[in-house]
Amino acid sequence: MGKEKIQKIAITGGKGGTGKSTFSVLLANKLVKLGHKVALVDVDVECPNDYLLLNQKLKKKIGFTYAKFPKIDKRKCRKCGLCVKSCKSNAIFQAPGQYPIFLPELCSGCGVCWLTCPYGAIKPREVKTGEIFINQVNNNLWLITGLAKAGLEETGPVVAQVKKIVLNFAEKMNIDMILFDTAAGTHCPVIQALINVDFAYAVTEPTPMGAYDLGLLLELSQKLKIRTKVILNKANLGNKKFIEKIVNKYKVKIASAIPYDKNLAKAYSNGQLLDLDYDFRINGEKFFYEKKV
Amino acid sequence: MKICISSTGKNLSSIVDTRFGRCAYFLIVDSDKVKELKIIKNTGVQAQHGAGITASQIVVDQKVDVVISGNFGPKASLVLSQAGVKCYIVPSSMSIKEALKSLNQGELQELLKPSAPHYS
Repeated sequence: MGKEKIQKIAITGGKGGTGKSTFSVLLANKLVKLGHKVALVDVDVECPNDYLLLNQKLKKKIGFTYAKFPKIDKRKCRKCGLCVKSCKSNAIFQAPGQYPIFLPELCSGCGVCWLTCPYGAIKPREVKTGEIFINQVNNNLWLITGLAKAGLEETGPVVAQVKKIVLNFAEKMNIDMILFDTAAGTHCPVIQALINVDFAYAVTEPTPMGAYDLGLLLELSQKLKIRTKVILNKANLGNKKFIEKIVNKYKVKIASAIPYDKNLAKAYSNGQLLDLDYDFRINGEKFFYEKKV
Repeated sequence: MKICISSTGKNLSSIVDTRFGRCAYFLIVDSDKVKELKIIKNTGVQAQHGAGITASQIVVDQKVDVVISGNFGPKASLVLSQAGVKCYIVPSSMSIKEALKSLNQGELQELLKPSAPHYS
């Protein structure tokens, strides 16, 4: 086949509101203009919004995500209470002499309760936990959006399942670049998004909060052994020293600085980022852009 | 009748903890034997989620009839009412002793719906 390996890049950063999604869209656009076939994947499944920045609507579904939750068979239950003790999510409650009550909003779907029950009274029940949407934005750009059911406790598995479906889709469509736009934070859904990517950009801002959360994120990406570079957004505001301190501590590079720019903000709020051929330079990372023929 | 009060400290002059699920201690008294005081440290206080459920489980395991606290979250009030435990709310900061007195005099309001939002 001689097929090129698909490049998987995560856009993350720790703090919320630093411009992860904006940068994702700008980068996706740039890559398309340089001749790549790109899938932009919104894995901020609790609150995806890349579709808004791209002026799209979430209509066409290409799949669902699932999880298993416990269901009790009262004919088999002997009210022993072992499931209550086994649950690390505090999602099972039992009043004396009564059947246990399962609280789905606390359940992570880990499965310990049905493995623990000595009477086989708890059975896994498959439940839909999310939807996956697709938008073809232009000839060479697809947006894939994961959307978890509101109130779902554990969204990491949703991200993992979205990634799997995206990989299949990318192979089928000859997509050579996948961008994963992650949620803010360093918790399970972010970890799931970062697993197995080739490279990560950490988008941050020159504020104490931006620097602190960037530190947590870099700690995580080093643990996961993911090569990470920093994108400093709103670079002309705040104080760059906050970020430089963290960047030096974790020995990573600031790949690019994006100044706060009224035109960019305007395009962002009008859903017109794609019309903006934003020229941010990523030092020394040009090989990512040049399409090898 | 067994009464459980969420408490900031370990004795009857301690102040009632306004949070049920994330209180420091549970003090359990028997209205027939007021001299006997049982102190249980709330291990669920550090729980990331479901502190109200853990606390409710402690309460029902102790076969408590009445719980007094400042607030009850949605999950705790749901499971406690299902377990037939009555919940009462202290309107302002008061000691455990004062809360028990108010309960006896019928001055405490019974909880009919959750009085605090979900925290996690």
